[in-house]
Amino acid sequence: MNSSFQRERIGDGIYFNSVTDSKFKHNRLTAHLLLPLKQETAAENALLPFLLRKGCRKLPDFTQLNRRLCSLYGASLSGDVSRFGAYQSLELSIYGIDDRFTLDSARMAEDCAQLLVDVLLDPNLPNGAFDSQEVVLERQQLCDTIESLINDKRAYALNRCREIMCKGEPLSIEKYGSLETAKQITAESATQAWKRALETAHVELFFVGSGDASKTKGLFTQAFGQLKSRRPYAVDKWVLGSAASQVREQVDELDVAQSKLVMGFRTGKLPDAQAVAAMWLMTALFGGTPNSKLFLNVREKLSLCYYCAARFDRLTGLMFVDSGVEKKNRLQAQEEILRQLEEIRQGNFTQEELDATLLQIQNSLRSVSDSLGSLESWYMTQIMDQTHRSPVQEWELLSQITREALIQAAKQVQLDTIYFLTGKEAE
Amino acid sequence: MEKTVIRSQRIGEEMVRIKHPSGLTMLLCPMKGFSTAYATFTAKVGSVDVSFKTQDDSDFVDVPEGVAHFLEHKMFEKPEGDAFAAYAKTGASANAFTSFDKTSYLFSCTDHFEESLEILLDLARRPYFTPASVAKEQGIIGQEIRMYDDDPDWRVFFNLLGALYQKHPVHIDIAGTVESISQIDAPLLYRCHRTFYNLNNMVLCVAGNFTIEQVLQAVDKVVKPDEKPVEITSRTVEEPEEVAQKLVEQRLSVATPLFQFGFKGRSEGPADNFRHQIWDEMLCELIAGEASPLYRRMYDAGIINATFGSEVMVGRDYLCTIFSGESRQPEQVAQEIQREIERLTREGIDREMFELVRRATYGRYIGIFGRTDAVAGIMSSAYLAGVEDPYSILDIVADTTLEELQERLKNSFDTERCALSIVRPVEG
Repeated sequence: MNSSFQRERIGDGIYFNSVTDSKFKHNRLTAHLLLPLKQETAAENALLPFLLRKGCRKLPDFTQLNRRLCSLYGASLSGDVSRFGAYQSLELSIYGIDDRFTLDSARMAEDCAQLLVDVLLDPNLPNGAFDSQEVVLERQQLCDTIESLINDKRAYALNRCREIMCKGEPLSIEKYGSLETAKQITAESATQAWKRALETAHVELFFVGSGDASKTKGLFTQAFGQLKSRRPYAVDKWVLGSAASQVREQVDELDVAQSKLVMGFRTGKLPDAQAVAAMWLMTALFGGTPNSKLFLNVREKLSLCYYCAARFDRLTGLMFVDSGVEKKNRLQAQEEILRQLEEIRQGNFTQEELDATLLQIQNSLRSVSDSLGSLESWYMTQIMDQTHRSPVQEWELLSQITREALIQAAKQVQLDTIYFLTGKEAE
Repeated sequence: MEKTVIRSQRIGEEMVRIKHPSGLTMLLCPMKGFSTAYATFTAKVGSVDVSFKTQDDSDFVDVPEGVAHFLEHKMFEKPEGDAFAAYAKTGASANAFTSFDKTSYLFSCTDHFEESLEILLDLARRPYFTPASVAKEQGIIGQEIRMYDDDPDWRVFFNLLGALYQKHPVHIDIAGTVESISQIDAPLLYRCHRTFYNLNNMVLCVAGNFTIEQVLQAVDKVVKPDEKPVEITSRTVEEPEEVAQKLVEQRLSVATPLFQFGFKGRSEGPADNFRHQIWDEMLCELIAGEASPLYRRMYDAGIINATFGSEVMVGRDYLCTIFSGESRQPEQVAQEIQREIERLTREGIDREMFELVRRATYGRYIGIFGRTDAVAGIMSSAYLAGVEDPYSILDIVADTTLEELQERLKNSFDTERCALSIVRPVEG
């Protein structure tokens, strides 16, 4: 019954995706509602997964809903928001053990699918709108979440750098929206946002697990078929921007003992799959693995940073190097990071370094098939990139990248923004 | 060589335990259909081991705080270079970590399993320390300690442990302090290695895509010579009944206050602690899980949010239970939890709720056996606790009775033995 990635259109802008393998003990079912990131709507959209997670018409009470989940062998139902390029994805996901592992032969996959549909499409709307007390509570939670982003300094610094770098573009918008717009959400506006999301979102549904996907597909097809007057957004690829003519710099001061240095680069246009793969490989060689130039030189050899890594987002053409440094080492670290990039541009890397990078990538690509979450997020990114390659196909593409293509990729990236988060104290 | 097959009737799977002539114990679980193999090589030593002796020592030796973690970092350095570089030739994704009572070296890989396993075994078995490399590491770990100083989640946790425990070394920061690690030198590291990385004090656990023959070949090749069993005695500390302090607060740059509210449980030895951990997890669900009346009340009152959760922290000779999250009224949350425990003790646990929680916990533990990293993890924690059959975790859950939990509640959630740790935002 094992089956590789299957994809089918089951409605207007609604797709059902599945991967099944009997080695798993769980099934994971997810609905992704994709909407363009906009300053005005980001926060009210972001509220929806959390608000919907509170109950549905059949189980209007939060405690009742959670007891139902307990009876489904502790299935976990979660709402979340994530970002794919210039799109915001509202996600509701349910994850439960397969029928085979229950003590009483429960029909887990079907019951989980039904619950997911109930929560997303048939919420509790007394008087036609979300309960205002629930909205007030969840709004407060959303505001807390937005305010707490500062707690994780590494992630905060990365976000700040992206925000500065992409000012005025959708890419600068925080996935949870802004605090100001979050504060203005009402029961009415949340209800409108929910209706609008069902009408206009591009929907990607996933079944990843060990059970039979066909019943879930039938159930989803039937339930989403009830949606009236659909006019879904087309999900387009983001047009990659070019770097600022002059490197932007920004320093923020906060109460931190260890400073964070983030450098934002733009890759420029990547005309085809080969160019994207070359950029990925280059980033890994530069700072994506424990054998990378940044890790071995900036961290290990020179002890300039506690961490120093590079990452590349294929959907936006942005590449970031982020590091934790002592304030006094900032300039030296910055110069060294750029020097390592220059090394790649000059072709100063050995076949051994390249092989090690390829082996690491092969390892991570082949590992994707062992985790439900990894499989879903792999294919979700593929879909957003308008390709449907399996990890194995991606590997074939990567393993054929030439040295020249890799050097070309390094030459193509341009430094755009340098962000430094540092303590108020003197050095 | 002793070989035992351990089977689970419940899920129809099996694993093998082997005691190698070298002294090393292995737990091996090949898993059909998986692409990755996940291997951990674990020494029974952690941050709590600050004073110990072996059968050959006349007296206890006291070592600086953070030495186990320091040793873990230094094991990656070899005369020929960094051990990570060796993994570069196999593509494995490797790591290591030190916790309170164990140090684990691990990798996961999809290809070149045998080569990676040889690197793993060699890595933890062949020490190489020089004064220069120790000095350099003091700088690197010093930075790591500074990074944790800024980490509110880390601080709120260790502040709680400091409040719960007066004497037990579990309250010591795993990495030590800049001051304590400055006392570490190469001879000390060699001594700790000789003591704790004796094969009889280690366990190798592998789960996923590999064969038992592959493991035996690598072990036969790398793990030698055989070692005589080491008997390590830790200096026992008499941890008083009372907590050190009821409340501890710190200010850091956070938006909303973070809190951890902990109960100092009574340790009854590793194997009992292993079972009690599961019981206490079920009790946490009954007291304040998402399906509980208390959770609902606190959530609706806006004093907890979705970050609220609980965990049971357990090791050879300590056990505590922690409720944590963000809250503007952490004192009130702590008070509510105490009241609910008192109510459940007085009125008894609701039978229907108990059944739901048992079912949910069963589902969660089944999940362990569907992931290579989790299988390796449960094999090693069961072994360290002296539990022969890792699958027995499913029986523990399925066989738990309401009466057992009711009895356990009185012992483990003693409202006289709790402490609250808060990290508040910086003023101004």
